[in-house]
Amino acid sequence: MCGEPKWVDYGDEESLAVAVVRRERKGMNSNTFLQISKISKTFPGVKALNNISLEVERGEIHALIGENGAGKSTLIKILSGVNQPDAGAEIYIEGKKIEVMTPLESLRRGIVVIYQDFSLFPNTSVAENIAITTDIENGTPILNWRRIRSSARAALARLGIDINIDTALGELSVAKQQLVAIARALTYDAKLLIMDEPTSALSKGEVELLFKVMRNLKESGISILFVSHKLDELFAISDRFSVLRDGKYLGTFGEDELDDDRLISLMVGRKIEYTVYPKRKCDDKVLEVRNFNKIGNFKDISFVVNRGEILGITGLVGAGRTEVLKAIYGINRQDSGHLFLEGKEITIGSAQDAVRHGIAYMPENRLREGLVLRKSMADNIAITVTDRLVDRVGLLDRGKLRDLVEEWIRKLNIKPAIADMLATKLSGGNQQRVVIAKWLALNPKILLVDEPTNGIDVGAKADIHKLLRDLAESGISIIMVSSELPEILAIADRVIVMRRGKISGEFDGATATQEEIMNKAILGVRQQAAS
Amino acid sequence: MKLKLKQNREFGILAILIVVSTVIGLNSSAFFTVENLFDILKSNVVLGMLAIGMLLVILTGGIDVSVGSMIAAVTVVVGQFLVHVTGNVVLAILVGTAAGTFLGVINGILIAKMRIPPIVVTLGTMSIIIGLTLYITNGTWITGVPDNFINFGRLTIGSFYRQGDDMIGLPVQFLFLVFTAILTWFMLKFTLFGRGIYAIGGSRASAQRVGYNLDRITIFLYAYEGFIIGLAGVVHTSIMRQVDPNAFSGFEMQVIAAVVLGGASTLGGYGSVFGTILGVALFTVINNGLILMHIPTFWQKIVVGIVLITSIGFDVVQKRYWENHTTKVDIEEA
Repeated sequence: MCGEPKWVDYGDEESLAVAVVRRERKGMNSNTFLQISKISKTFPGVKALNNISLEVERGEIHALIGENGAGKSTLIKILSGVNQPDAGAEIYIEGKKIEVMTPLESLRRGIVVIYQDFSLFPNTSVAENIAITTDIENGTPILNWRRIRSSARAALARLGIDINIDTALGELSVAKQQLVAIARALTYDAKLLIMDEPTSALSKGEVELLFKVMRNLKESGISILFVSHKLDELFAISDRFSVLRDGKYLGTFGEDELDDDRLISLMVGRKIEYTVYPKRKCDDKVLEVRNFNKIGNFKDISFVVNRGEILGITGLVGAGRTEVLKAIYGINRQDSGHLFLEGKEITIGSAQDAVRHGIAYMPENRLREGLVLRKSMADNIAITVTDRLVDRVGLLDRGKLRDLVEEWIRKLNIKPAIADMLATKLSGGNQQRVVIAKWLALNPKILLVDEPTNGIDVGAKADIHKLLRDLAESGISIIMVSSELPEILAIADRVIVMRRGKISGEFDGATATQEEIMNKAILGVRQQAAS
Repeated sequence: MKLKLKQNREFGILAILIVVSTVIGLNSSAFFTVENLFDILKSNVVLGMLAIGMLLVILTGGIDVSVGSMIAAVTVVVGQFLVHVTGNVVLAILVGTAAGTFLGVINGILIAKMRIPPIVVTLGTMSIIIGLTLYITNGTWITGVPDNFINFGRLTIGSFYRQGDDMIGLPVQFLFLVFTAILTWFMLKFTLFGRGIYAIGGSRASAQRVGYNLDRITIFLYAYEGFIIGLAGVVHTSIMRQVDPNAFSGFEMQVIAAVVLGGASTLGGYGSVFGTILGVALFTVINNGLILMHIPTFWQKIVVGIVLITSIGFDVVQKRYWENHTTKVDIEEA
């Protein structure tokens, strides 16, 4: 059913990586607002940031770019004082060295982060959302609503926008709520605004308005550091671009030094540190998704999965990949579309339906959604099949349970091999195996996995890759969502790329390159055709 | 501040109140008499005060099922004080509010510092307080409240109606309800503490991020609720002129029902003093009307239960609808 394995030589990949051009380090000039250097951050098992440097000037719009997991969020958390960098870090704000960056210190120095959830209150008025922060800071016991209202009005006027300050915030559109969050930042006397994916929930017109506001702020000397994946928008508004990859700083570039292609090659040149498995050509269709649509989730999704193959679905976080998986599994029902299993149309309205049809799902956050942490490994593995483990009276047969659990512990090489061990005590990689074992106990035909190696160390990742490959060889079809391109290229036979809720590209896993995939993930079909 | 959503709710409750009152008035001539209305007022002052205290808790998304036991304990303390120490009204108020505040602080500390969910904490303290109260009183009534306190309880403001020898006027207890309502309204609207309560109910994570001191607000809030319960305990004693330690068993249900009827969301963040007063009025009118219309009292409980589930269910369903209809992926239109 599948063709001969084909080995691919990825030896070229490294030479593909664009040589990093580091701009000459300018000395600190008086126009620099923020200067950081030697910023590293180590989490257990992962080096999230490795010797980062960055400069942000007064009144500039500075884009921070990188793949999922490149370290952007960690860097933002360090600048806002939420996370502490490793020893040796140097942070200067307006030329003054900051010894310890705490959230309060960061705010006092004028660094304000606008989180993706805005940290606003839907049940109170716009005025209160914008201006009560001053009272909180000063600890004013009795409020002066006249001051709150006029200060809110002034902040909105500075942004050049018109919102009724007496409206309850929850009644505003997401775009307007974002502007309220920006107005609130002004009442903190912000000098550097950090915005994380500010355009992700906005329509085109709303993006224009946001950009107008951003330019107004820039005119008044406020710096903006912002993270986005939408290259057309980045080029429309940014003065300079800093690129991160794998926790490393690749340099800062001016507008004239970059174009789409160059930016993408900077972002993706990640080394493949995994074993690359031979890919197979399979053509025994098992599952077919036809024209799946769901408003606000995905559109026109069609693809097939063959017996014994791994289909990788990649794209940026928020492209709708997980939503598609959940739709197939029946926990996020599509508005329209058809699903065929081995040629017959089936309807899946719930997870129970999916399990009955031999479809198993391993969610992204294995700790939260996949494991009962305070139960033993045995209980976790057996949870999906308890109905098959009963004796004649209908009571749980401990002997059958033990046999089953020991079989899976052996097959998946779970360590330590103690069936009664609490799931919470296992290492990340072994927890992941318990979740896989739990679903394999059902003998599924199709296994859906979402970010299977997220948050586990490299050695454990390699183990999981081998396991998934072995499962595929044994005839199980696997659909794997992953943001990590090296992982996709290491084990997926075919690759589907999603962008903004749609499929923007499809590749043969044996020949695809990171750049091609990233291109589809970021630019999609339209720009591709134009270039 | 004009918050459309909130005002719509209060307007709706007011409309229902008017409709229900009219229906009852048409069916029972006794309903719209001054005598009956003052009677309703007097017998529901305590419910109103407790509901206002409960509103603060519900605004933060919490719940307090220990109110019934707390006010029972306060009345026992106040009763013992009146019988054995002095019938002085001011001192009785001081003792009552001190006892209530003390119990409230215990709830507050357990909820804020130990991070135990409010329903668990208050279920526990409810049981402990009831147990202690029955242990101290042996379940018997406290009688023999001094005359000067009884006379205080009979005071009226103005006299509108004469029936036999009894002057019928606005009962003095009503002033305590007005005082509680105005004080709480002011606190919710004009103090940082009050806005913090709304902030916690609106978004706990955001409240923490913008710098509200959540622990301090939580403890103060339960202390303040305890203070109101203490005051209500004194008011109750002045109406009943004796203390029944079992008088309030199950009363927390009525208090919570009145607050929810008044438009407060059990998910936190939405509700007002005005709405709560309307909720208490609606609750009271339904109960009183059913009695006047000679409908068996078990129907009260059934009606209250249905209304409770309907209004809470509405909140929850609305919230789920919002969450499902918030765009997750911005799909590009070709």
